[in-house]
Amino acid sequence: MEQKINNIIAKLHSPEISFADVRVTSTDFESISFENGNLKNYSNSVGSPAIGIRVLINGCFGFAGSKDLSEASIERLIARAKSNAIHGALFQKEKLSFPALKASTGEYIHHPEIDPFTMSKAEKLDYLSKVANLIKPQGQVVHSYLMAEFERQEKYYVNSEGSYSHTVVYNTLPVMSVISADSGQIQSRTWPGHMSAGRAGFELFHQQQFMENTDRIMKEAVDLLRAPVITEERADIIIGGGHLALQLHESVGHATEADRIFGQEISYAGKTFVKPHMLGNFKYGSEIVNIYSDSTDPRGMGFHPMDDEGVPGRKLDIIKNGILVDQQTSRHIAHKLGLEPSSNMKASFADDFPLVRMTNLCIAPGKGSLEDLIKSTEHGYFLDFTKTWSIDDNRNNFQFTTEIGYRIDNGKITGIVKEPTYFGITQDFWNACDAICGEEDWAYHSTFHCGKGEPGQVMRLSHGVAPARFKNINVSVKL
Amino acid sequence: MNDTLLYLKAALDKHPELKYTVDLSFWQTDFLRFYQSQTNYNISKDMLNLSATIYKGKRSCSFDIDDPGTAKIDIALASALEMIDSLPEDPDFVDVEDDLTLAPSRKMVNNIEAISLQTKTEILDSLAQSAAEHDFELYGTFICNYSGYRSLNSNHLDKSSAESPIYLEVKAVHRDSQITVLETFGGDDFSHFNLEDFRARLLTKIMYTKNPVIDVEPGEYEVILAPRCVAEFVQYLSYGMSAHALDQHSSFFEGKIDKKLFPGIVHITDDPTDSEMIRKDYGSGGHIYRPLKLIEAGCFRNFMCNQYYHHKLGLPKNGNTASCLKIAPGESSRDDMIRNVKRGLYISSLHYMNFINAKQTSLTGLTRDGTFLIEDGKITAVVNNLRFTEKITRILENILELEDTAYTIPFSENYAAFDIETVKAPHARVRNFNITSSTKTI
Repeated sequence: MEQKINNIIAKLHSPEISFADVRVTSTDFESISFENGNLKNYSNSVGSPAIGIRVLINGCFGFAGSKDLSEASIERLIARAKSNAIHGALFQKEKLSFPALKASTGEYIHHPEIDPFTMSKAEKLDYLSKVANLIKPQGQVVHSYLMAEFERQEKYYVNSEGSYSHTVVYNTLPVMSVISADSGQIQSRTWPGHMSAGRAGFELFHQQQFMENTDRIMKEAVDLLRAPVITEERADIIIGGGHLALQLHESVGHATEADRIFGQEISYAGKTFVKPHMLGNFKYGSEIVNIYSDSTDPRGMGFHPMDDEGVPGRKLDIIKNGILVDQQTSRHIAHKLGLEPSSNMKASFADDFPLVRMTNLCIAPGKGSLEDLIKSTEHGYFLDFTKTWSIDDNRNNFQFTTEIGYRIDNGKITGIVKEPTYFGITQDFWNACDAICGEEDWAYHSTFHCGKGEPGQVMRLSHGVAPARFKNINVSVKL
Repeated sequence: MNDTLLYLKAALDKHPELKYTVDLSFWQTDFLRFYQSQTNYNISKDMLNLSATIYKGKRSCSFDIDDPGTAKIDIALASALEMIDSLPEDPDFVDVEDDLTLAPSRKMVNNIEAISLQTKTEILDSLAQSAAEHDFELYGTFICNYSGYRSLNSNHLDKSSAESPIYLEVKAVHRDSQITVLETFGGDDFSHFNLEDFRARLLTKIMYTKNPVIDVEPGEYEVILAPRCVAEFVQYLSYGMSAHALDQHSSFFEGKIDKKLFPGIVHITDDPTDSEMIRKDYGSGGHIYRPLKLIEAGCFRNFMCNQYYHHKLGLPKNGNTASCLKIAPGESSRDDMIRNVKRGLYISSLHYMNFINAKQTSLTGLTRDGTFLIEDGKITAVVNNLRFTEKITRILENILELEDTAYTIPFSENYAAFDIETVKAPHARVRNFNITSSTKTI
């Protein structure tokens, strides 16, 4: 394949093309789901191919992608990408700036502990069937669901500057959930939460202790049917890692994707309240809030030796001691902002156009354990397990509901509340952060489903977080 | 391209103990994305996919093959046959689709070929010049898809369909204030696109933005919901009208067939035959897609139900998928509806809605692309984007009047293969709409 994409890039060396890159991916995917203990779906695709060719002509990008890697298809894609750039340039006021970058190479072959594609199918199904049977409906639990998705993706990248990379990675998405019902009301509990994926193989099921938590979610789902709601207007809240990852994702991650500053995502995903003049002085959060983008950490799904336009993986501060200091950028946008490219240009598959994407966006750990943090909270709620999320066009006003809240009184958990809902304004919220747990509670939480771009792409990415406390948050939303 | 499909069918027919469904689908897009009144990127993309599900008794196994060929089919089928006996059973599976009704043939134009890139850029350039006179720039997408499939199954089903939807979404954004308004065109017949009408509608909305920008307090407001908002609320509501939601105990409509739930002016159908919309021939499993009454004069009439849930739940089968929703128009003019508002809001578009509790239809979301204050029957100010927390059923219960015209609104499906659907809806005047906070931004 290396030879094949080098041959393609050789065809793109011409005076009219100021930059070109070629990507090829081959993806294995397996999906298994159970409903109410019964196998509902077992499906797979093996070696699904994709190719994407991007050219920069007259200061405009043209792109063509396909699942067909035949020579005839490649010739057609080259012609189409060129035509798209040339015609796109007719509706353009300003040529796209794209400073040259030094060539680099990268190679990474990921080896999961348990390869989900080569392990015994009987062993895999036996484990999943056991878990599915443990959460089978009984009593007020009326529905259950267990899903496993496994992905292996091999990717080749080459560009006209001489950069080249080759990677093989495994990603796994495990999740289980139950629904309870009583008198026209339903409640749900999932495990291990909204961001349950990981850069791993089948071992992720064991790491996330599925077997050990079936009883817990069954009981909590039923208990929630009789649980009260939060009655206070405002409260201190501790947010667990799984849900805090989503809070970070929505209110910092997407807000600091710099393509949004220039309106490149307005038509779908939206804008951002962040403006270029805020860099270096905007107090995004309290002084203990340190947030960084790190595509060099292989533990997260955002790891890569280089991004999808040839920028080597980087670790960079986005928020340092509460101050906004950098952005997630493409080469073009970094140049417009006077920044170094952050290595955040990614496409889901080779036939997708690369976009500014989160990689591993993390909150640096603070000090102490979750247990200590709860002990130090006089009154409040520990919220985890995302149920609903929503944030505005500018990534400024958010509202989240979690499946469950654990009431804290005098440093102890004293009960549960259902559908705890909080909302806030991004800057106010992160400035209300007064404690972040330490390394012992810090972990990656990952998703398969970050949507962005048109045609839509769903990106695999990770957030490293530890539980954190936020003071005096508005929890008054009622219907 | 049918060779691979027929090759797989022939291989499966050698196993009389099996039931099966096989689908060969193609999809192409030409996609122009623009920002600041210029091209952002311009892409072409295509795919060819063969998918199959084989059933042996109550066991099943599926596979997908991109860029299919006989060698890949042999490997995938051998693997499926090898493992199917080891899979757990689904006791609720009975049979694959047995509705063999064919949809009437209709003329289909490949809009990727019919609407050239040059035509697209000329339209956008023309609109950009009009917007620039008011210090607005254009952002959005101009998409043409061409897709189709042929489906076969072991019950002798053999159906083909193709479609070529168009989606033009233009957001005009003020250069300084960032105030945004939205205009769209969607359908599969470009002869319905009238550039001057489109321009006039866009400029009318731009003129609304000449008013001052204000914030409003949380509370219950009388609102005029633009057709896009009505359409989107009904799309979310339709989740609970599916047999799947009923089976999950997550449907608001459980136990409510033929019950009066909404005002008598509310009629909702799933209608794939309207030529002003993107039409569909077949629904779930290849069942013929016919108009289906969902809400009639405020009464809930039917769940959308496929073969699987037909057998499992005993509901009538229809194959509908809520891909062609229509909310019937009422009797009021839009201008009269606005005139009837003493103090309220005009809401143009919604953003990032998510259910809090699907069974109760409670959700939260935000306004977007133009929220305006109405005072004494006139639009008097631009309002920052607002958050609402509501129940869709309560919104429908609180409808006071519906406009006498319904508009075709396109929506893109972004989480699977990029698909485009249309919904037809009128403006609605609704009381007591629950605004729960302001975003403080436009």
